[in-house]
Amino acid sequence: MRILVVGGGTGGTIVANNLARRLAGEIRARKARITMLSASDRHMYQPGLLYVAFGQMMPDELYRDQASLLETCIDFHVDPVEQFQLDQNQVRTKSGRIHEYDVLVIATGSRIVPEEIPGLAEGAETFYTEESAVKMFKSLREFQGGKLAIVVGVPHKCPIAPVEVTFALHDYFKARGIRDKVEMKYHYPINRIHSIENVAKWAKPEFDRIGVEYETLFNVKEVDVKNKIVKSEEGTETEYDLLISIPAHRGMEVIEKDKLGVGGWIPTDRHQLTMEGHDNVYVLGDTTNLPVSKTGSAAHFEAEVVAENIASIMKIGAPVREYDGKVYCFIEAGHDRATYAMFNYKNPPDLKPPNKSMHWFKMSYNQMYWTSVRGLL
Amino acid sequence: MTTQTETPPAATAAASDNIAHDLEQLSELATLVTSARDAMSDEIVTRLASALSEGITLLDRLTRNEGLMRLLQVLDRPESQHLLLSLSEALGAMSRDIATAPPAKGGLVGLLRLAREPGTQEGLRSLSLLGQYWSESLRELHRRGGA
Repeated sequence: MRILVVGGGTGGTIVANNLARRLAGEIRARKARITMLSASDRHMYQPGLLYVAFGQMMPDELYRDQASLLETCIDFHVDPVEQFQLDQNQVRTKSGRIHEYDVLVIATGSRIVPEEIPGLAEGAETFYTEESAVKMFKSLREFQGGKLAIVVGVPHKCPIAPVEVTFALHDYFKARGIRDKVEMKYHYPINRIHSIENVAKWAKPEFDRIGVEYETLFNVKEVDVKNKIVKSEEGTETEYDLLISIPAHRGMEVIEKDKLGVGGWIPTDRHQLTMEGHDNVYVLGDTTNLPVSKTGSAAHFEAEVVAENIASIMKIGAPVREYDGKVYCFIEAGHDRATYAMFNYKNPPDLKPPNKSMHWFKMSYNQMYWTSVRGLL
Repeated sequence: MTTQTETPPAATAAASDNIAHDLEQLSELATLVTSARDAMSDEIVTRLASALSEGITLLDRLTRNEGLMRLLQVLDRPESQHLLLSLSEALGAMSRDIATAPPAKGGLVGLLRLAREPGTQEGLRSLSLLGQYWSESLRELHRRGGA
């Protein structure tokens, strides 16, 4: 069985390593082969970017060599896919090489598209890339007070990011002794302050406590960079001195170009995680169109289901597991406290009061991620 | 008729002492936990977690390494341990002899004198046998795809 994993992020790496362990005997006997195609020879711990934006982590701490994270039997190539030829069970890569497969796993992730809103890329700080996170930190360092606006586009990676960055900003300015000089205003596109209802219920009194103003039903239409005004589709405006943005995301360009899914999100079976109409193609992580958060934890839980099912299909001819929509998100709540949200298709999250132990659990996870992505945790 | 039993005052006092002792221990434990929490920092937690993460990865690689597992099985045999001990002793003795012996003068005469010694002949025979068995073992390893 030729298994081709496209994408070397969290989901792709976990599924490849998990399969390498489950099919160790078959790989030795040359009955199975795992190939991974990635756009980079480095693997980034993406949640760490928020820490970079506040000077709590250095960019080089976020990276490991991708090959060092993979089981040695995985055939790894830095050669991104340029065309999916699903009807012929093959892909064509940037180098022009054709890779044929029996089973394909697509885990290509997502990208930010601030350029789709006039003025947003130039006018706002964000932290979804290494460069932007470092730039945001430098802007925060220079900021001496004034109006700070936080705006959110959808869909976006890491559902908790809008509230986490708000708490982190409050803590940062407080630590610098200028919190009383900063007017913080949070904007959210739907009619509550977070898409997950229980997170919204929990965050609202926290925002009130730390003095963060909020405006809901605010979908960013454009940013007037010259006059420092952010305007909404709903007709309202907010003046700012510093604008922080959680930009909207899209799937990767190749997914859109090959018409695999609108917006770069591939239509995916919510339990089997197969691409609709293609039983030998699995989709993982941000790339799916599933109604679950675009987070590393969702990619992780999905990868375990996909790996177990591919292995069981090879061993007994049938899949054995179904994905239940499980997501687990840490929520840094400021003051060295954290809590978490765990939910699935059926059960909404039940947030516990934040505490220091959960904050340390999150700090520990920042390191344990490398064990997790190797398929150990 | 019902019988009522009364706890003797001495037993009540002993029970109270036990509870007080338990509470004191719990209090000590709570102080220890609070103290540990206060002493910890994000830096320390990060370093500990990093070490743990690398340790788990290393352990995983070692325990799934077939060559290492075979080596451990071989080392578990008494004759292997005896061999390593004798080799260690031989290396120690050689080190001492070399340190005290005068430097070799070289030349064919010296070589012939050395070749006449029974120890040299035994050593050459051992090395010859080692080469023979080692070659056989290497061939077997290659045949099984282990090298």
